[in-house]
Amino acid sequence: MQEEEKVLNPQESLRVIRETIDLAKNSLRENGFHFLLWGWLVVAACIAHYYVLTVLQEPKAALVWLGMIVIGLPAALLYERRHERKRAVPNQVGKWYGRVWLGFGISMFVAIFLCMANGLSPIPFILVLVGFAIFVSGSLLHFKPLLLGAAAAWAAAASCAFLTMNEQLLAMSIAMVLGYLLPGYLLNAKVAARHV
Amino acid sequence: MYKELNPILLSQLRLAIMSYLMVVQEADFNTLKAKTDASSGNLSIQIAKLQESGYVEVIKTYKNNYPLTVCKITADGTEAFEAFYRALKEYFGGPDTGK
Repeated sequence: MQEEEKVLNPQESLRVIRETIDLAKNSLRENGFHFLLWGWLVVAACIAHYYVLTVLQEPKAALVWLGMIVIGLPAALLYERRHERKRAVPNQVGKWYGRVWLGFGISMFVAIFLCMANGLSPIPFILVLVGFAIFVSGSLLHFKPLLLGAAAAWAAAASCAFLTMNEQLLAMSIAMVLGYLLPGYLLNAKVAARHV
Repeated sequence: MYKELNPILLSQLRLAIMSYLMVVQEADFNTLKAKTDASSGNLSIQIAKLQESGYVEVIKTYKNNYPLTVCKITADGTEAFEAFYRALKEYFGGPDTGK
């Protein structure tokens, strides 16, 4: 920035604050990978589940979700492990970001268990949790497309009241495109633009 | 002329360090160096001044057997930054100036 200590006037002070805070926020935005990974996996699992259920009429169609976890979990952990080495010090916002998604994961498994025990479709409950996690992430990263994605997930959850279980799978895949994939690609585009 | 503004934060590099730490709370020396585009010597001097003022805490530690210097904003630092920002907004005469 400078070798000598430069004394600022108020206008310059505001500029430095704005520029540095923008820079700091941008460095928290490199999370596009997880949105893209899980977005594509959930969309693929929804469509596969729908296809197996309606076309092949196989009652054990829900097993496709197991495939999603088998592929997704190691890929996500591997990415985090590699990424962690580059990140010398985890920052506070990053820590909260991680905790939100950990809480989401635990809540989702509890919700799925409860729905299965009570013979309910877990999809609307998963979508409510997805909406909440995306909303908090979007707020932490100050990234509007994620807030809009959260709205899409909540809207899809509400629409499940009027849909059959099979149709709910399609509603979920649309919510994933709007809530995970679109913001994920926009996050990556923002990061790429910054590195140019 | 700008007497009401905290002179410690009226330095470009010190203000950049504090602004960055306001968002991320803590950062290692190399990250701060990259983000502020400062030289190592100047960065060390300004971090030391912020530490003397009680605005940042400097933690010397190790990561993978390499020394690591971590700077963390303190409660006094956060308060000073917020007061500085409020004073700037008052200076420009509007609550929306910061947005």
